[in-house]
Amino acid sequence: MVTIDLSHTGITEANEQIRAYGADRVDVEIVNPDARHNIGVGLVEPITVRVKGSAGYFCGGLSDGAHFEIEHNAGWAVGDNIYQGSVVVGGNAGAIPGVAIRGAEIVVRGNMGSRAGQVMKAGTLCCGGNAAFMAGYMMYGGRIIILGDAAAKVGQDMSAGEIFVGGKIESLGNDTMIVDMEPQERDQIMEFLERYKLSYSGDFTKIVNAGKKLRYANAEPRTRPQPFFVSSKSSHYWNPKVQEDIWIKGEVGRYRIRGYGASKPVPHLNDIAFTRDISSVAPNPKELGDINLKTTVGGRFGAKPLSLSMPVMIAPMSFGALSRKVKIALARASRLSGISENTGEGGMLDEQRAEADQLIFQCLSGRLGWNVKDMQRADAIEIYISQGAKPGLGGQLMAKKVTPELAAIRGIPVGIDLRSPSRHPDVLGADDLVIKLQEFREATFHKVPIGIKMGAGRVNDDIKIAYKDGFDFVELDGLQGSTGAASTEVLENVGIPTLSAVQEAIDGLHEIDAGDDMDLVMMGGIKDGVDVVKMLALGADCTSVGTAAIIAGGCIACMQCHVGTCPVGIATQDPEHEARYDLDRQAMNMHRYFESLRWQIAAITKALGYDDVHKVNRGDMVALTPEAADITGLPHAPEHKQTRRPLTGLELLDRKAG
Amino acid sequence: MCGIAGVLFKQQGSHEIGKTLIEMLDGCQHRGPDSTGFALYGDDKDQLQLRFIVPTEAVARQEAIDNIGTLLARHGATIESEQSVGCSYQIAVNFEGDLLGFTKDIEEHAKLVSVGHTLDIIKDDGTAHELDQTYHVGEVTGTHGIGHVRLATESAVRPEAAHPFWATGFEDIAIVHNGQITNYWKMRRRLERRGFTFHTDNDSELVAVYLADKLEQGETLDGVLETAIDDLDGTFSFLVSTKNEIGYAKDNLAAKPMVLYETDDMIAIASEEVSLNRLFPGQSINSTEPAPGTHKTWSRSI
Repeated sequence: MVTIDLSHTGITEANEQIRAYGADRVDVEIVNPDARHNIGVGLVEPITVRVKGSAGYFCGGLSDGAHFEIEHNAGWAVGDNIYQGSVVVGGNAGAIPGVAIRGAEIVVRGNMGSRAGQVMKAGTLCCGGNAAFMAGYMMYGGRIIILGDAAAKVGQDMSAGEIFVGGKIESLGNDTMIVDMEPQERDQIMEFLERYKLSYSGDFTKIVNAGKKLRYANAEPRTRPQPFFVSSKSSHYWNPKVQEDIWIKGEVGRYRIRGYGASKPVPHLNDIAFTRDISSVAPNPKELGDINLKTTVGGRFGAKPLSLSMPVMIAPMSFGALSRKVKIALARASRLSGISENTGEGGMLDEQRAEADQLIFQCLSGRLGWNVKDMQRADAIEIYISQGAKPGLGGQLMAKKVTPELAAIRGIPVGIDLRSPSRHPDVLGADDLVIKLQEFREATFHKVPIGIKMGAGRVNDDIKIAYKDGFDFVELDGLQGSTGAASTEVLENVGIPTLSAVQEAIDGLHEIDAGDDMDLVMMGGIKDGVDVVKMLALGADCTSVGTAAIIAGGCIACMQCHVGTCPVGIATQDPEHEARYDLDRQAMNMHRYFESLRWQIAAITKALGYDDVHKVNRGDMVALTPEAADITGLPHAPEHKQTRRPLTGLELLDRKAG
Repeated sequence: MCGIAGVLFKQQGSHEIGKTLIEMLDGCQHRGPDSTGFALYGDDKDQLQLRFIVPTEAVARQEAIDNIGTLLARHGATIESEQSVGCSYQIAVNFEGDLLGFTKDIEEHAKLVSVGHTLDIIKDDGTAHELDQTYHVGEVTGTHGIGHVRLATESAVRPEAAHPFWATGFEDIAIVHNGQITNYWKMRRRLERRGFTFHTDNDSELVAVYLADKLEQGETLDGVLETAIDDLDGTFSFLVSTKNEIGYAKDNLAAKPMVLYETDDMIAIASEEVSLNRLFPGQSINSTEPAPGTHKTWSRSI
């Protein structure tokens, strides 16, 4: 047993020491903790850490296999996301103890705060005293034992798992019911209590999910595919899609769900043109190799930045929304083109990790597939606040896609219509987010960039918060961003267009004199190299492509991503459908598509007279419509529309050849 | 988006409230690096103490100070002492009359941020320790006070948008708030119809005005906090202080953290235990977390 004194050791240094002792299997005692945050975060060695006093937020969080004994109180989210291991709190615990645990044993001898065990997947959370309201909120599995009283809404929106309450229950949450206990359950609880020296002899009330809201009452009916490009082409007032929408709403009596992004026309990069007639200065293809496209993302605070061969990333898309094969193909294409892949919501696949050179691991509100071991093998971490397709809502994954394999990686019951929480359990404001960010930095040893993914809503405010909270990069997603499943009303109507988003972001950062150290990655409707260059000229540092990559990789844009029976094997978890996907061929198609982006970006940069894509700027562009001029502040010059359309890469090549 | 802290020593005397609050706010400065503020309660002074935010640029500053002098003269108030420091101009004035009418007129023409015979609100951009260097907050003694660290999310970073907020028209009352009032405009319009004016778009100012209005109607602080929880929508934890009292209110969702610790001698409340623990280094304290939808007040001995 060694002692670390927090009165003169910073938390980062202390955690480093704890890990080093852990590697030697030496137990650690922490003195003078004085309720400091993030004690023991990221520890994956099977040692015991004794905290001689009170701990702050996230004590023992993002750990695996270790044992924590906190002599007195613990702050918010004690034991966050622990897989194996235990935390014993001698006093009281603040809000959300045992949040997102995947197998740990968390014991709070005193009282525990609200939303205990939120989104927990497996393991036991036990409270010797009383539990504040919404214990077991949105839990997906595991067991909560409350020896005292439980305040209102016990088990609110739980999907699975059991809650046992010894004392009084103020009220039950949505979709829960009281059932009789199995005889062996009591024995198992008593064994657990004995192990942690908690004496109790009374009865329990057992609360479980009532099963009424796990699935939509009316499934989304199968319809004749109306591809995205057909439905978004004609009048957006009355068209076959609108007609179908009305019919189906008449059948199911609720909002509709579909994949893809907004299909209504909004001001976009097409409404901007380059001032120079770049067709007249078509560059020599041989010289394009000299144009610098290299882009780094996330170096703001000294972490190792992502190093991209061009200002392009693959957008976050989950294993779940997409099939395993597609995630592997994307990872391979990212490696071949020297860019980065992103896990999206559903956890990290081993094959995906192996294929991708640079992989961003995304953390969502439901903490589905989120774990410390994968964090520690990621090249960057990204906390998801929202996405352009559905700002303010959590992800949706319809039952057909929630297969046993997928349920296991996410830690959820098989076959439910998974509606992820709309907000993080432990991030209810910019202030909490600071501490969460610090937890991630501790768990990844301050070595990888940590970014934030935001859907475009109040960008001007949000970007300032992201900057002040200390993120290394922001991935900002406009209204046109796509998704695997969302309500159509939200898809079409919530959020602001990508063009407005980038301008608000740039203006917001300028207003607080932020400089350019936090990298801005823009996404939502980026379709080619022309868009990439325009985005950079507007002020973004990098771009991210999702829909375009998937289309290059075989997507037919039928918008039935949510159904789970994707005809080309992309948006499915059905082995029969996935078998149709030719991974090797489609990975190469995506890679070649990325290479076409590279060529276009270089050609336009050269044609604009620069040797580095990061030198393009607003002076190179004009707005073709009053709306685009109003949004971006670029001069309105519609005369560029007819005569100076920027040529595609192929056209430039043709011209040169001709 | 912020951190809050409050302390009240139950016995009369010169307690180190400035030092105490600096420690507590430094403990949670990570919650709000933009600005910091203190509402400190010292001896009951003969003159009314006023503090204004004035420009830091010399010419504009002198103009603002001259303007304040003219305003005061208009109401027959005479300046007894003055101090110009940092972004603020503090004066002690002799004034007998209708305070509400007096402050309403002054507020229309100057950035008045603190009014009272015992209260002094000191706030500025920067951290608790930075404010201490400029304003010597650590030297202030008294019986109680509240403080705030702010991360500006929706309104601008300016000293006058920092907390605490003075409850307009009502002396010796201040509030600090962590959270977001979602029925801000509805409540603001309701108060504007009752003749109140707002000087920022900050929802915390609304809380201060709301409380002042109710207190003016003769309600007790305890009663006002109870109705505030029903009337205000959103996520919030706020602290309010008066000449002799300190109190808190917490929203029904408990979405904003708050812990408190009480001994025979004092009560300390903060967003995080790490701030409370600053007052008792190396010790474990039996803090409690107030339940959702609750409020409570404490008085110093008089």
